[in-house]
Amino acid sequence: MQKRGLFLVLLFLAVVASVLVCTAIGPAGTPFLGLAGDETSSIILFSVRLPRVIAALLVGAGLAAAGVVMQGLFRNSMADPYLLGTSSGGALGAAIAIVFLAGAFHWVLAFAGCIAATFLVYGISRKGGRIPVEQLLLTGIAVSMFLSAILSFLMYTAGKSLHQIFLWLMGGFWSTSWNDVWIGLLIVPASLSLLLFSRELNIFAFGEEDAFHLGVDIEFLKKALLLVSSFITGLAVAIAGSIGFIGLITPHLMRLVIGPDHRVLLPASMMAGGILLLFSDTLARTAGNEIPVGVVTAFFGAPFFILLLKRRYRQ
Amino acid sequence: MIELRDVELDYGARVVLKQVSFMSGRGEFLGVIGPNGSGKTTLLKAISRIVPPSNGIILINDQALGNFSSLELSREMAVVPQATDPGFDFTVRDVVMMGRYPHIGSFRRERDEDREIIRKAMDTTGITHLSDRSVRAISGGELQRVIIARALAQQPRILLLDEPTAHLDLGQQMSILHAMKELSRQIAVIGVFHDLNYAAHFCDRIILLHDHRILAMGRPEDVLTQDAIRTAFGIDVMVRKNPFTGRPVISPLTKPENGRSKGGRVHVICGGGEGSDLLVGLSAAGYQVTAGVLSVNDSDYRTARMLGIPCISEPPFSPVSAGSMGELALILDETNVVVLTRGLWGAGNIGNLHVLESAKVRGIVILDSHARDGEEWDFTGGKAAAILDGLGANGAIPVREVSSAIAAVARIIEGVP
Repeated sequence: MQKRGLFLVLLFLAVVASVLVCTAIGPAGTPFLGLAGDETSSIILFSVRLPRVIAALLVGAGLAAAGVVMQGLFRNSMADPYLLGTSSGGALGAAIAIVFLAGAFHWVLAFAGCIAATFLVYGISRKGGRIPVEQLLLTGIAVSMFLSAILSFLMYTAGKSLHQIFLWLMGGFWSTSWNDVWIGLLIVPASLSLLLFSRELNIFAFGEEDAFHLGVDIEFLKKALLLVSSFITGLAVAIAGSIGFIGLITPHLMRLVIGPDHRVLLPASMMAGGILLLFSDTLARTAGNEIPVGVVTAFFGAPFFILLLKRRYRQ
Repeated sequence: MIELRDVELDYGARVVLKQVSFMSGRGEFLGVIGPNGSGKTTLLKAISRIVPPSNGIILINDQALGNFSSLELSREMAVVPQATDPGFDFTVRDVVMMGRYPHIGSFRRERDEDREIIRKAMDTTGITHLSDRSVRAISGGELQRVIIARALAQQPRILLLDEPTAHLDLGQQMSILHAMKELSRQIAVIGVFHDLNYAAHFCDRIILLHDHRILAMGRPEDVLTQDAIRTAFGIDVMVRKNPFTGRPVISPLTKPENGRSKGGRVHVICGGGEGSDLLVGLSAAGYQVTAGVLSVNDSDYRTARMLGIPCISEPPFSPVSAGSMGELALILDETNVVVLTRGLWGAGNIGNLHVLESAKVRGIVILDSHARDGEEWDFTGGKAAAILDGLGANGAIPVREVSSAIAAVARIIEGVP
């Protein structure tokens, strides 16, 4: 337990260090190394870089937390925050805003799309007051496909807005402002509230029936976790689009390092997810022209994930 | 205390339980047996509230099962399922500690008393040495014991076990079942068993399910009868009494090959239990077997009766009568082979040898399973020994094993030298 506590403290220090380092790095230069201490540089640091850095940290933390919950709920380390149609719902919402409202309110519609998709999946899966997990999973896949079909149709007929939709789909922080950060701060209490369910999530690793026998109110647990995690995912998608791999890899990686106990896994994954996305975004904005951060996370995330899988099979 | 009143359960149109009523409580180890699909597991699922009954009432301590919150229920009842699939790499200790959740809840810290309880639970199930191992890196039998320890950590008043020994080896099965038996002095234990002999050996009472309803319920010796088992499982068995425990012991009887009897009549002269295996083997091989003369308090007599083998008998402790000797002589006239077990001979049963001596049968096989060197076996003043020597001299075949006796019978009947 003490070792785990130390690990969390170290991770926290790493978060602070990452914020400092990543705020300092940028195409316009680094403080003391070419970036003058004038007003322009202070705007670059505090109005351009810092909000972006903090937003990336928050979104990364949120996606990782939602990923932990989804993997715990589905007892499957292949689950990710977008499993229940959230990303397709969010994408469709954003695309509607871009096509029909010239991009206005696109983050509101993205958030609404995420939540709506989750509730749709939830509503369809409900059977006599219960939501069987397998049903939820399959419905999630079906609803995702259905929403993607509508999205594809929109994109096909979008004409000039196609490029904009496409950029949104890949995800990124290029337009991030302090306003996004204020919204994103909601991710922190929401993710931390998941800690209240960490013992129950641990027990859930043995399946619904075992969890029920051990006294867990499984239907309440599923509802609460789905609600909170879709709220978090909705915020993350609204701020930065659907960025892949952070929610999938981070919980996986942290489980390898500190074990599956959600009391530690959840905060550790939040911090690690924040750091991972922060560095991905820093790479995305410094590597030549701005590249979508979703490309970076997938480009590095996928091979890394394969490596993890290989290692696990060898054991 | 648990009570079921007229519980019925269906999955849509398919009825899974009908008219199930029983009570059980602290101090009882109740076994549930029955063929696959008879509703055993469903019964446990109904009691543990995984599937709601469509009719009837289930009461725990006189309270309707539905009135308990999930946390309250988990303090009353623990369940060991048939199979467990841990989703992640928790350590054995972590998993057993999960059994404390009903008492700890979401937020309370684990106290020393919790640690003491799980230490005892791990000790009882013999998994202490695995404490720090991952539950995904241990064997199926070890995992099963971890889950039993987790159930014990719940400190339930009712423990439900669904085939608790399915993945265990013989030694582990015994130690777990003994532990459960011990536990059933303080709480109610209800276990589903596949193995009828374990149910017979450990349970105070047994419910035999057949066709989704209770076919029989009561003490093992009353429930596990040849007829009940034939009805429920569709097989013929031999039910004997374990001489040490008085509990029934069930052994299945193999049916004749192709279900048809072979030609050939075999008579068995035996006694003292030495002929039982032989009787089973010969009737399984499909011969028309007869036996006797036997005293009705001989265990070979009970075996013959159970197998439906015609048997000439005498009242307890009575010598072979002239009437029985005549009967035996008549049977031997029709018999191809006689198998004689070389047991103990005295004034009571020497009559058998006298009849055999003058009978005209195709062959005689003498089964001598025990090496009796130096041990007294002839209590007839040498008469029995003389007759046996005479039979031996006239071509009776001596064998040591039941299987060789049956092979010898086959050779004689088929005329192979």
